[in-house]
Amino acid sequence: MKLLAALVAALAVGALPLLTSSNYIVGVGVSALIFTVAAAALNLVYGFTGLLSFAQLGFWGIGGYVSALTVVTFGGNFWWGVLWAGLINAAVALAIGYPTLRTNRHAFVIMTLTFALLANLIARDWVSLTRGPLGIPNLPPPEAFGHKFSSTREFYWIAWGFSMAMLAFLYALCTSRIGRTLVAIKQNEALVLAQGISPMPYKLTSFALSAAITGAAGGVYSFHLGIIDPLFLDFYYMQTFLIIVIIGGAGSFWGVVGSGVALSALPELLRFSADFRMIIYGLILVVAMFVMPGGVAGWLRERRLQRLRQELR
Amino acid sequence: MSAILEVTDLRKAYAGVHALDGVSFAVEAGSITGLIGPNGSGKSTAIDCISGFQKLDGGRVVLAGADITGRPAHRIARAGLMRTFQTVRIYERLSLRDNLAVATQQFDAATWVDDFLRTKRYRLAVEAAEVRARTLVELIGLQRYYEAETGILSYGQKKLVALAAALMPHPKIVVLDEPVAGVNPSRIREIEAALQQLNRAGETFLIVEHNVEFITNLCHRVIVLDQGAKLAEGTAAEIHTDQRVLEAYLGMTPEMAAEEMRGAA
Repeated sequence: MKLLAALVAALAVGALPLLTSSNYIVGVGVSALIFTVAAAALNLVYGFTGLLSFAQLGFWGIGGYVSALTVVTFGGNFWWGVLWAGLINAAVALAIGYPTLRTNRHAFVIMTLTFALLANLIARDWVSLTRGPLGIPNLPPPEAFGHKFSSTREFYWIAWGFSMAMLAFLYALCTSRIGRTLVAIKQNEALVLAQGISPMPYKLTSFALSAAITGAAGGVYSFHLGIIDPLFLDFYYMQTFLIIVIIGGAGSFWGVVGSGVALSALPELLRFSADFRMIIYGLILVVAMFVMPGGVAGWLRERRLQRLRQELR
Repeated sequence: MSAILEVTDLRKAYAGVHALDGVSFAVEAGSITGLIGPNGSGKSTAIDCISGFQKLDGGRVVLAGADITGRPAHRIARAGLMRTFQTVRIYERLSLRDNLAVATQQFDAATWVDDFLRTKRYRLAVEAAEVRARTLVELIGLQRYYEAETGILSYGQKKLVALAAALMPHPKIVVLDEPVAGVNPSRIREIEAALQQLNRAGETFLIVEHNVEFITNLCHRVIVLDQGAKLAEGTAAEIHTDQRVLEAYLGMTPEMAAEEMRGAA
């Protein structure tokens, strides 16, 4: 039943380009899909495992650059680019995750933040590879079976297929015993140890999977923009992913997916007042945090628990 | 009877203070053994070192014939030693069912691939855990909370959940760190009864506790620590008449202790 509802929702989202003739709306749709995937990946590592990773921004940027360079410099195609973006980020995550996850959670936050800033510096200063601040313009549209996905509308289908596959994977993972163990690790690591479970493989795997998915999402997004430059590593993206997770409710799969779609659309809906839209957006976020500190999913959960307490009294 | 857990000459010092200064004792299979002592006597340090939560400076820990000295905590748990904690530790945001299921998942045959694809091996493991969980939940009397998040339970109920979780994978020995501290008296009786029933079914317990009455009622054998060393060992009755124990720990004369015993009985 739940699965059927999810399937219907997925198809409805996929039908967006058929419902509007506006390229602008379809473009917002692409962003919403990709940001939701990146936020869901952050939710895996932060909401489930309890590791606040700012490295997501670095993975996103590396993913964008890897896929762009695969096509422009190394003569591959878009699909290989996205695949490499995922693989290389998984490898990077394993390499930086193994030492940093041995420290405490606070040190982990600082180290991942440093990694993200470092990635930004590399994008700007390794000019022979990344072309520095000029960036790499004119990324060619993806191609499959001789068909070019050159318009925004056509690109939407790629973004849709990609995000549905990633979300389905994350859903299967988060609802499995593995996902439950991640939650257990977040809640009480000493108890997890006392029950014979070594947290390290779980933490490392969730970090690496989250990196791979974020990187692949960055890869797809760079081709949507058609250009990649160091602004791709702007903190704006990290902020967006984090806000989606916090408002949706860290640790809730559907909460984050819902808020991913809603919050990607919200700044656009506020365009009626161009001067104040980001201020209004900020106000909405602040008020939302006051009313629902656990996000929408956390708020719903509190209500459910209250009912339960009353029933059991 | 043979010893399931043998500790020999445990040593541990913090910044020059000898928390454990050569402690040795054994726990017989199928017994309930009490570990008591005044605050700071080294009880908690001893079980933290035995269960791998603290590094030992010296000594040997043997579980069912296997040397587990210095192994990491999760390996010691896998070897069959499960423990609870003084400040109750459970997964407050998971249901009672999930709390019990997590406690045993490391002990079944299902791998991550099985978990992810929900294979037959995974389903069998889950079913087995479910059967065990239902038995234990009945024993601790929390059936109506089975599906509820454990965060809503009372402190005493949480202690019971931690106990049930420790029992889930059929461990060789269960180490309980102050199972009734902060629990209201009527609930203490329930815990006592549950432990006795489990012990009759073959479970071995090592219990650290301050509540003398609780220890007296339950334990076949009692070990007394004082200032990081073993002060005495024997049956509860023997301990109660031991002059050294009375002075160091109970701080009372044999007459007062006898009075206490009558009160307990």
